[in-house]
Amino acid sequence: MIRFDNLSKRYPGGFEALKNVSFEMEAGEMAFLTGHSGAGKSTLLKMLMLMERPTSGNLLINGKNLNRLSNSQIPMYRRQVGVVFQNHQLLLDRTVFDNVALPLQVSGYPSSEIGRRVRAALDGVGLLDKEQQKPIALSGGEQQRVGIARAVVHKPRILLADEPTGNLDPELSSEIMALFRRFQNVGVTVLIATHDISLINRMQLRIMRLEEGELSDDGATYVS
Amino acid sequence: MTVLPMSANQRAGRDGAQRGASGKNIRFGDRWRGYKSHHRATIRESLGKLLREPLQTLMTVAVIAIALALPAALYLTVENIQQLGSNFESSAQITVFVKKGAQPQAIESLRTQLDGLSGVDSTTYISAKQALLEFKALSGFGSALRDLDENPLPAVFLVQPAVSEPIDMGQINRLMTKIASFAVVDDVQIDMVWLQRLHSLTEMGRKVALALGATLGLGVLLVIGNTIRLSIQSRRDEIIVIKLVGGTNAYVRRPFLYTGLLLGLFGALSAAIMIYASLLWLSSSVASLADLYQSQYRLQGLGFVGFLGLMGLGGMFGLGGAWIAVSKHLRDIEPK
Repeated sequence: MIRFDNLSKRYPGGFEALKNVSFEMEAGEMAFLTGHSGAGKSTLLKMLMLMERPTSGNLLINGKNLNRLSNSQIPMYRRQVGVVFQNHQLLLDRTVFDNVALPLQVSGYPSSEIGRRVRAALDGVGLLDKEQQKPIALSGGEQQRVGIARAVVHKPRILLADEPTGNLDPELSSEIMALFRRFQNVGVTVLIATHDISLINRMQLRIMRLEEGELSDDGATYVS
Repeated sequence: MTVLPMSANQRAGRDGAQRGASGKNIRFGDRWRGYKSHHRATIRESLGKLLREPLQTLMTVAVIAIALALPAALYLTVENIQQLGSNFESSAQITVFVKKGAQPQAIESLRTQLDGLSGVDSTTYISAKQALLEFKALSGFGSALRDLDENPLPAVFLVQPAVSEPIDMGQINRLMTKIASFAVVDDVQIDMVWLQRLHSLTEMGRKVALALGATLGLGVLLVIGNTIRLSIQSRRDEIIVIKLVGGTNAYVRRPFLYTGLLLGLFGALSAAIMIYASLLWLSSSVASLADLYQSQYRLQGLGFVGFLGLMGLGGMFGLGGAWIAVSKHLRDIEPK
């Protein structure tokens, strides 16, 4: 499903954020991406979102090389991907419902279909009763769950999460992880970037560790 | 607080949708309906955003209105002067003085000759006697003329040339030379130099209006572009999120294009109202002035076509300004 092939990213100024990164993830697989801040986790996710393009090497999604996608094809690609951001990136002037509906609106779904799917997604994260509230009125954990509902409402094949449990206490973190597990169970490929080691160690999942842009460790299920 | 387990109902919905499509195979009809309702919603939203900041909107609209009204008013002025000129043009006559003592047969053959010329619309003959009567009636020198033994006035042909727009002075000059060469013709006169000058002036005025229009049009483009740029600044996050969830550039552009279009149209509408108001204010004095000269001349307004043209220009400038501003921003956030 996801294949990094000797991918490097050098920023203008010479900083190498990723150095010859190669790995593969199967469809329906769930894995952690870890490493210190600045190790390249966010850059790697940005590659997967096509927010940035590699300096060299290839990134294949479902056999398709993302380097060959023109800028005008990016929106179509992004509609297959869901992203959960650390700072949740919710639009504060819109209701919870409108925030979650956004990925469907940009894809041109009719409003009846949007209503049905948004409510299903909000029900999935347990926030069906909050749909008419503004995100600012919600707690941190609730905001993060709205972000997750938005990331999955269009049934993406790949779900990316950047520090999804960043500011949450362990109990909330576990709930969020349980949610991700459920998406994995219906066949979504899930990649979670985090440096929350206690969380990683509770999950028994594949771990990829980045160190100064290089993939230093891949396959362990426990970090000491 | 716990996360609820997935309800049976929801699981069914999820599975059903999973089987159907992963979000790509939306039926065309549904897509079209979604597209239309999205456009409606976007117009409503753009209008709402403009109305929520009435002062800002009013100021922008006023600037656009003034910038559109100035060249439009100048153009209208030129058109009106042109109209005034062509009123005189149609009465532009060549006066052909017949030699004193010309025989009636010679005059008759001159009439035939004149009528036969190409470029002549019609001729009118005024005999010396008729001319004298007219002169007595109009001049008030009747008693003085009675003392003269002999009629001092010559017989005259009034030749109406077939004039086309714009007047071809060369053609008229050739016609006059031709007429002057006829046997019993004493003199040929026309007073059209001032008409020609008027023509050059209106032509110049039209060019000034065009140049002013182009300059101020550029101004409108910049004003709208800047307004849209500010509105983009305040919606940066929204644009980023929309792009991240797979929104196309067209989707991002749309609300800003509508905002620009609405600003341009409101500006053009206000410009039209300003022009109509000034015409209303001027028309009565112009009418009384024209009446003093026994003229049926009245001020010409924009007319329906002119109004549509003004609206079209305003809308185009609005769309253009918005397009430039959004495209620049979208280029800046393309992946590198």
